Amino acid sequence: MSIYQLKRKNSCTIEKLPQIGLLKSLGLREGMIVNIMSKQPFGGPIVVQMGKRSIAIARNIAEQIQVREVN
Amino acid sequence: MSCHIEEAQIVTSGDELKILLMGNPNVGKSVVFSKLTGMEVMTSNYAGTTVSFTQGGVTYKGNKGVLIDVPGTYSLEATSPAEEVAVAMLEQEVADVIICVLDATNLERNLNFALQLQKYNLPIVFALNLTDVAERQGIFIDIEALSKELQSPVIPTIAIRNIGLKELVKTTWEAATGEEKIYDEVPQDQDERWKRVGRIIQKVQKVEHRHPTFLEKLGDALIRPFPGIPFAIIILVLALGVVVGGGKGIRAGVLLPLLNNFYVPFITSLVARFGITEGLLFNVLVGEYGMLIKGIEWPIALILPYVFLFYVALSFLEDSGYLPRLAVLVDGLLQRIGIQGGNIVPLIMGYGCAVPAILGTRAATSHKERVIVASVVSLAVPCAAQTGAFVALLGDRSIFVLILVYLISLIAMFIGGVTLNKMLPGHTDPILIEIPNLLMPDRQSFFKKILLRTRHFMVEAEIPMLLGIGFAALVAETGILNTVGVYIEPVIEGWLGLPKEATIGLILGVIRRELAVLPLLELELSTLQLLVGSVVALFYLPCLSVLGVLIKEFRMKTALLIGLSTFVLAFFIGGLINQVVTLLAIFI
Repeated sequence: MSIYQLKRKNSCTIEKLPQIGLLKSLGLREGMIVNIMSKQPFGGPIVVQMGKRSIAIARNIAEQIQVREVN
Repeated sequence: MSCHIEEAQIVTSGDELKILLMGNPNVGKSVVFSKLTGMEVMTSNYAGTTVSFTQGGVTYKGNKGVLIDVPGTYSLEATSPAEEVAVAMLEQEVADVIICVLDATNLERNLNFALQLQKYNLPIVFALNLTDVAERQGIFIDIEALSKELQSPVIPTIAIRNIGLKELVKTTWEAATGEEKIYDEVPQDQDERWKRVGRIIQKVQKVEHRHPTFLEKLGDALIRPFPGIPFAIIILVLALGVVVGGGKGIRAGVLLPLLNNFYVPFITSLVARFGITEGLLFNVLVGEYGMLIKGIEWPIALILPYVFLFYVALSFLEDSGYLPRLAVLVDGLLQRIGIQGGNIVPLIMGYGCAVPAILGTRAATSHKERVIVASVVSLAVPCAAQTGAFVALLGDRSIFVLILVYLISLIAMFIGGVTLNKMLPGHTDPILIEIPNLLMPDRQSFFKKILLRTRHFMVEAEIPMLLGIGFAALVAETGILNTVGVYIEPVIEGWLGLPKEATIGLILGVIRRELAVLPLLELELSTLQLLVGSVVALFYLPCLSVLGVLIKEFRMKTALLIGLSTFVLAFFIGGLINQVVTLLAIFI
């Protein structure tokens, strides 16, 4: 499933990142566990938290990020 | 993009030490830069404040050096204009030493950059910045161990409060004059490099669990649609209230009484003492458009309070780290006009002055988005000076018209954006940004920034304004207007329904935006005329400095197209309002 399908407060392990250099430079990596902080309405971005940091990811990028949900 | 590389020519004399200041975005490089060089540069709490490099002098024990503030980048792969600048600086091989600023609250990602930097085999000194914020969050870093891992000196700093900076300069000189540096091989592969980073983090960093502070909780709440969106509306309305309400208060309560009771009588009697009591010279100096009267009243009493208060509000929003949160909240909305959420920053800056707003579009957005933002700001966003002029003109006569003008401005921004989005080729970059810590702005740098910006604005404004007022005085006193008036009468009086004296505003509006409004103050206008005059002035040509920036950033053709469209739209919409309302009045 893509990370965009998750809801707020869900956690997931990142399985596959698209080939976008900035994603990795911002610190996202495969195998990492992240939390969903918020999801914006009207096709807005999703905000994910890793450690103490948050990044906002546009919908069309988030839809390409494959994840596995963690409970 | 190539123009950014051409700009990267460092000017130094032979014997100065050349120091590159590098690091991830928003780690405080610009703060370190301004503290070390004493130069005043803009700093904010979000990525991308520095869009091209700046250089300044530093000295240590009588030795001279030049410090070069390189735009912050997440990596050195030359995939964005900022990264191209950074890589070009490194590859020119002119630097003697690098100061790399690390964010202690986010060491992992910063180390990834630090390792990439080692490839260039230059001596590096690391400034571990924001150590105070890190400790509050429960993050503790073993400086000695980190220094060993990085094979370079690491100096803990709190740049904003000048802590650790002396030590940083001393160490930089020592490192530069030391022996040549060869680092251990750094893995080129991203994943391998991150593994190395992970191992270093394990050794040097200890994180204690802390309950989130109030600011952390607030920072998280502000980014959720609820309560984030209601809060965003409250924050923006509050900012507007501070600027418009506060400005009106300062103007009416303090500045105008001072001016009318003391300055005007004083200057009039002074002029009289030189034997000038009537005639052309008297009128040009202290008459209806007297340079000595309006040249002081307009900039100081009508413009200054709004400019100052606008920068108070903007600087607070910038330094607190709120703007990236707002960018996330409005992304969905801004996509409708073809731009991503991050562009809310230049749009808001446009309410101060369009020049920094247009320059600000350089930060990581597509060409299409840059043109849309620049066009919308040039067309429909009133600058702080124009806001001052609108409040002066409409505030006492009709609050309703004032609100209507700003509503028309918002509608025009939206329709203009949607149209440009359809017309222009190209794409919109998807939003992908880091959300910084929410911080209480540092008082000292906050006030310094406000003063710096206000001063800059006023210095830029005063001379063109004086010239404009002098010109208006001459035109009004010599009767040239009557001659010109014959030709433009059909447009001004027939189509727009304004008195022919309003022409002065339209001529002066070419120089500065508020000058299109201020001459209307001297006329007796009906409510409809006030509305039409304000709308024409709102859309009318962007001022000369904005046209200059448009040409510089987008070439002549685009700049002229933007200028021409605003000119035509101003007359079209202004006239349309006049004709429709007049027609309706006949029927009702």
